[in-house]
Amino acid sequence: MNYILSKSEMESAFVAISSDFQVYGAVERDGDVIFDRVAGFDQVSEERSRYAPKEFLMKRNENVLILNVESKKAVFGIKSCDLKGFYLMDKQIFGKDPFYTQKREKTLFANFVCSEPCSGGFCSSFGGPVLDQYDLQILREGEKFHVMVSEKYDRYFREFKKETGTFYVDFSNRFNSKLEPLPVEGIEKRIKWNSELWKEYASACISCGACNFECPTCYCFDLYDDGNERKKEWDSCILSGFTSSSAGNIRKGLDERLRQRFYHKFVYFKKSKDTYLCTGCNRCVEDCPVGIDIKEVITYDYNGE
Amino acid sequence: MSKMTEETPDVYTIEMDSKNEGRAGQFYMLSVPGVGEAPISVASGFGRNLIFTIRDVGSVTSKLKNLQFVGIRGPYGTGWPWKEYDEVIGVAGGIGIPPIRSLLEEMMDSGRQQDLEVMYGARTPSDLVYKTDFGDWTKSLNFQITVDTANAEWNGNVGFVPALLRKAHLSRMAAVFVIGPPLMMINTVKEALKLGYREDRIFISLERRMECGIGVCGHCNIGEHYVCESGPIINYSRVRNDKELFL
Repeated sequence: MNYILSKSEMESAFVAISSDFQVYGAVERDGDVIFDRVAGFDQVSEERSRYAPKEFLMKRNENVLILNVESKKAVFGIKSCDLKGFYLMDKQIFGKDPFYTQKREKTLFANFVCSEPCSGGFCSSFGGPVLDQYDLQILREGEKFHVMVSEKYDRYFREFKKETGTFYVDFSNRFNSKLEPLPVEGIEKRIKWNSELWKEYASACISCGACNFECPTCYCFDLYDDGNERKKEWDSCILSGFTSSSAGNIRKGLDERLRQRFYHKFVYFKKSKDTYLCTGCNRCVEDCPVGIDIKEVITYDYNGE
Repeated sequence: MSKMTEETPDVYTIEMDSKNEGRAGQFYMLSVPGVGEAPISVASGFGRNLIFTIRDVGSVTSKLKNLQFVGIRGPYGTGWPWKEYDEVIGVAGGIGIPPIRSLLEEMMDSGRQQDLEVMYGARTPSDLVYKTDFGDWTKSLNFQITVDTANAEWNGNVGFVPALLRKAHLSRMAAVFVIGPPLMMINTVKEALKLGYREDRIFISLERRMECGIGVCGHCNIGEHYVCESGPIINYSRVRNDKELFL
């Protein structure tokens, strides 16, 4: 159901949610936007967080020998591109990874829809910032808040004014026409296994793994014993040990590992889950120390090689 | 753990008191606390005591040998679909034999040993495992062994495993289950196709680094398949065009 709320109504919805959840929000701390506990809706920043808030559902490092009972959390101010990462991950890991699944079920995400395209972002290539899956999807227009609410959380909004009409559809069309989508459709057929691009990237890449750790859709992890604990820790397919086994290593070359990252996003996930494993957030581009740009993987003229 | 047998200088077999809940071809994650986990195929038939045959190659596999208790979770992955076929030929190279041993026990336990033939190859006679089982198996079914290189005492077949396929008596409609090192699997599949076995009845066993076993951690993919979910046992025709199929 869609609703339209004033600022004070937004605060009272926030209070109602706070009585059932531990509430977190995007907040500015020492020049960075991070997620922390917030006491009011007006404290939530509209700026994008420095990092995708993956840690709400996948800690960098957690002991998997104990499955703790998690508390219910509500997270305000996650950007649509980051939230969409979870909906994509769900397709592979929801229901299988008990640590992720429990947190996923107990976390309410209130995503903020960007009113304008950000610099470098290319979310319109994957549908734009208005998501078709959400808990609470919020777009501020001056002093008014347009809120799309999923059935699961509708009870917090029933008393407010319903919004009918095509506001969100119109907004989405306007946004996506301002940010021209990249020609991503069919990339799984255009992309080339032996492209020079992988070697070119490999000659620059320093295997830092930042692209994976920044990515709101990357879910791979390493499992290892550490004293009395067995730990699940974020892993990176760019690192040489990722596929090494007693039988050998299928991707010895950095070019092969870089190709795997892009093939997973644009070919394999498309084949197995019928969608691309990318939200257009541009985080991997912004934090790549050597300037590798995933947008180039999409727009590159493979046939012209 | 109830029993440990040294098979060769670097291969040993352990038996547990617990029952195997997995099917031939499936694997378990075995662990040594404080060291880590390793995916190991089950070597016994469904419902029998759990048996694993392990090559000592890493931090976990070197320590599983002498434990009183072994950490275990599973079974995971796919098994050999022997129930779907009237005839089955199992072809194993080297340390690929345990899942074929499991297959053999399952088919024997179902009274179907006459529908099975097993071809087994190792590098040298001293690399052969399960030597004490050979007598029983030879009595029950067409069980052929070859070694790449013979020694003075060896008077059996000499040569690579794929060549043994010519000693199979079952029909060309038989399913062929292939497991072993990459080159052995490639050549066995080629030979099977040359001899007229159906491509869609050839199953191979895939090998990758596996950590979670449940299709989450992302280490074992071959194209869009996660080996721990779609494999390790997979129909050859499903993956024949995958570029990273064999290590």
